[in-house]
Amino acid sequence: MNRTVAPGLLEPEKIHLMEPEILSIQNAPIYIFNLGTQDVAKVEIIFNAGSRFHSLPLIASLTNELIDEGTSTKTSAQIAELFDYYGAHIQTECNVDYASVTLFTLTKFLNKTVALLIEIINESIYPEDEVQTYIQQEKQRLTINQGKVDYLVRKHFNAELFKGHRYGYFPKIADYDAIKRADILAFSKANYHSGLHSIIVSGQISDVSKKDLLKVFEQLKAKKTSTPYEINHPKPTPPVHKFIEKEDAVQNAIRIGKRLFNRTHPDYPKLTVLNTILGGYFGSRLMSNIREDKGYTYGIGSGLVSLSEDGYFYIATEVGAPVFEDAIKEIFKEISKLNEELVPTAELTLVRNYLLGSFQRSIDGPFAISDRFKTILLSGLSYDYFYNYLDIVKNITPQELLTLSQKHLFPSDLTQVCVGKKLL
Amino acid sequence: MIEFEKFKLENGLTVIVHEDHSTPLVALNILYKVGARNEDESKTGFAHLFEHLMFGGSVNIPDYDNPLQMAGGENNAFTNNDFTNYYLTIPSQNAETAFWLESDRMLSLAFTEKSLEVQRNVVVEEFKQRYLNQPYGDAWLLLRPLAYKVHPYKWATIGKELSHIETATIDDVKAFFKKYYHPSNAILSIAGDISTEKAKELTEKWFTPIPAIHFSKQILPVEPVQKEKRELVVHKAVPSGNIYKAWHCCARSDYDFYATDLLSDVLARGKSSRLYQSLVKEKKVFTEIGAYMLGDLDKSLFLIEGRLTDGIAPADAELELMKELELIKQVPAGEDELQKVKNKTESSLVFGEMNVANKALNLAYFEMLGDASLSNEQAALYNKVTANDIMEVAKKIITPENCSTLYYLSQNN
Repeated sequence: MNRTVAPGLLEPEKIHLMEPEILSIQNAPIYIFNLGTQDVAKVEIIFNAGSRFHSLPLIASLTNELIDEGTSTKTSAQIAELFDYYGAHIQTECNVDYASVTLFTLTKFLNKTVALLIEIINESIYPEDEVQTYIQQEKQRLTINQGKVDYLVRKHFNAELFKGHRYGYFPKIADYDAIKRADILAFSKANYHSGLHSIIVSGQISDVSKKDLLKVFEQLKAKKTSTPYEINHPKPTPPVHKFIEKEDAVQNAIRIGKRLFNRTHPDYPKLTVLNTILGGYFGSRLMSNIREDKGYTYGIGSGLVSLSEDGYFYIATEVGAPVFEDAIKEIFKEISKLNEELVPTAELTLVRNYLLGSFQRSIDGPFAISDRFKTILLSGLSYDYFYNYLDIVKNITPQELLTLSQKHLFPSDLTQVCVGKKLL
Repeated sequence: MIEFEKFKLENGLTVIVHEDHSTPLVALNILYKVGARNEDESKTGFAHLFEHLMFGGSVNIPDYDNPLQMAGGENNAFTNNDFTNYYLTIPSQNAETAFWLESDRMLSLAFTEKSLEVQRNVVVEEFKQRYLNQPYGDAWLLLRPLAYKVHPYKWATIGKELSHIETATIDDVKAFFKKYYHPSNAILSIAGDISTEKAKELTEKWFTPIPAIHFSKQILPVEPVQKEKRELVVHKAVPSGNIYKAWHCCARSDYDFYATDLLSDVLARGKSSRLYQSLVKEKKVFTEIGAYMLGDLDKSLFLIEGRLTDGIAPADAELELMKELELIKQVPAGEDELQKVKNKTESSLVFGEMNVANKALNLAYFEMLGDASLSNEQAALYNKVTANDIMEVAKKIITPENCSTLYYLSQNN
């Protein structure tokens, strides 16, 4: 046997994305992915309740996070007791645009736990005491985060990229002091008692009668509404270089990047490939050079973020303070290389194969496929986005990547923010 | 329920196969029965450093990651005090690549000076990033040597100090490989879109030629029974104080494990738990509280850690905590309360088998404990626990002389 020769490889068969079954209540769609090997389910209820819908920045996220802290008939403890009793748990999520409340449950308790979820969404009263306890916890967490270089660098980087816009917002202690229960109640009424966006159900739910499940969902007060809001595209900001000193830092945190655009831009899927080459996987150029060759860091990566009105590209790492300057030099060397040289065919083939395998992993199982579906749903796109992306992964050329890099990742256009210890 | 088939190669490698054709992927998991507890006290952090070196190329394959990524695969690894685990998932049509890669690094590594030097630096940066440059990041580095005086659990997986990693030599590395990385010290589990026959065929093809090596079982020192309470107070640059209390408890394979685990759930699992409701919500002496047992292979620790509410004295918060602990020692948990933690456990067991990578890890882990079929008996074992069992365990372990407490306080107050 010759161990130096790799076994032969096969391309994956055509990748197919499972379409959900679509039902509706209150004019809002319910998307159902009935699959999986385990008798578990996930129910995600999405509202037009992001932070853009209130003038104070934290009201939306508090309304979202505190939704299970009490109704007129059940205390916070009783609600927790019930969910815990069924072995279920809920997760809340809130960004600039949307807020969601997600339930994870054993299928055998699905109808009961969904009914409870809907009861709290409809009837939440946000008791003053719970609001205050939570605010104290959050203020403490914020103070602790402010001692972390990775938190600080994210905060300052976003603030530079999105000056004066919600996308650049990070909470301050004073913002917590400005919170009033009345604002939360009003927000809940406006955005959780109407403002329903959609519901996504996934998991092994073959044994559940859809009719019964629909009946439970119909108890939701919220109707589908398209709450109007003013589109507020962030203004372009010139690139800056900023260093924030943190004397006791053992490692310096670095963020380099720029504003771009979101998933709906035709270059976005192509940039996904370029980003992967640069810093999007373990074998990426940044990892190979800065970790695996130089040993400057435990990890380095780059990414693309798609927001409803904008998007951005970033490189992030934490490196030993003494090698900080060298690390930045190497990062820019890699970016320049992308701008000057064609990506070798062998490297591109590897990235193509990696991305195809990675895509298969990302749609494997009920929760994974529903997450993928949610991404395109909330971007206002369809599965065609992914089929187009897969075509691009298979066919993009080194020349296209070079042009793309020159167009979007020019070194002098990049903003650079660092937090850490300044060496003399 | 995970159905599986198990067999052993002549060289001593244990192999477990679970078929799941609902996915287009195959997961391959190799668990090596070596962790930080097997290290020499003067060379700590070695098992974990070694995990990094396993990606530096093997005897016939100069690079591990490239061919795997070329085949659409992805991998990672972790090390703890008891074992080191390597796992990957790969599209099933390219499964053989995984067997080829994993068997070659079990056969022998490339052992280059360059790889050692780079990974020493990477691990030093990992040490800084995760333990030194984070608020409370070094709490475990302080707590372990407080709770353990003799057993190697007294150092953390990352190592006791940076110098141990910085001075590791290529000879150390080679000796470590020879001693621990061989077929009879490993468990290979394969789960996913592959037939048992195919998995067997590929395992035999790639792993059978690896020679068997026999090492006598390592005898680890036994931690003597703790006879008086231990305390350590540190003041650091953190905004709020934390309290960590650690009691010695049973090992993962002991009968008491299930009652001990449920004790931690009754106390602090979920927002309806006793400590959360009483100490965070009602008395507001802590802002966060957690309880868990480590579940180590040797005698383990039962932990409670809480973040103090700003302005509350550590002693006052601790007093309230101890009142709750006295209660569970004297009054058995109610029927509903017990059922609740059992339901929670059942739920997390079911959720824990959602993908083939987790199933492969579970099978290998339980095989290390004694038998892969234990993975299918967990729910029943938890179910057998009574409220009385939980109370008895609490009485046994939650005593002042069995406890080590770390007060990790803000230097500002």
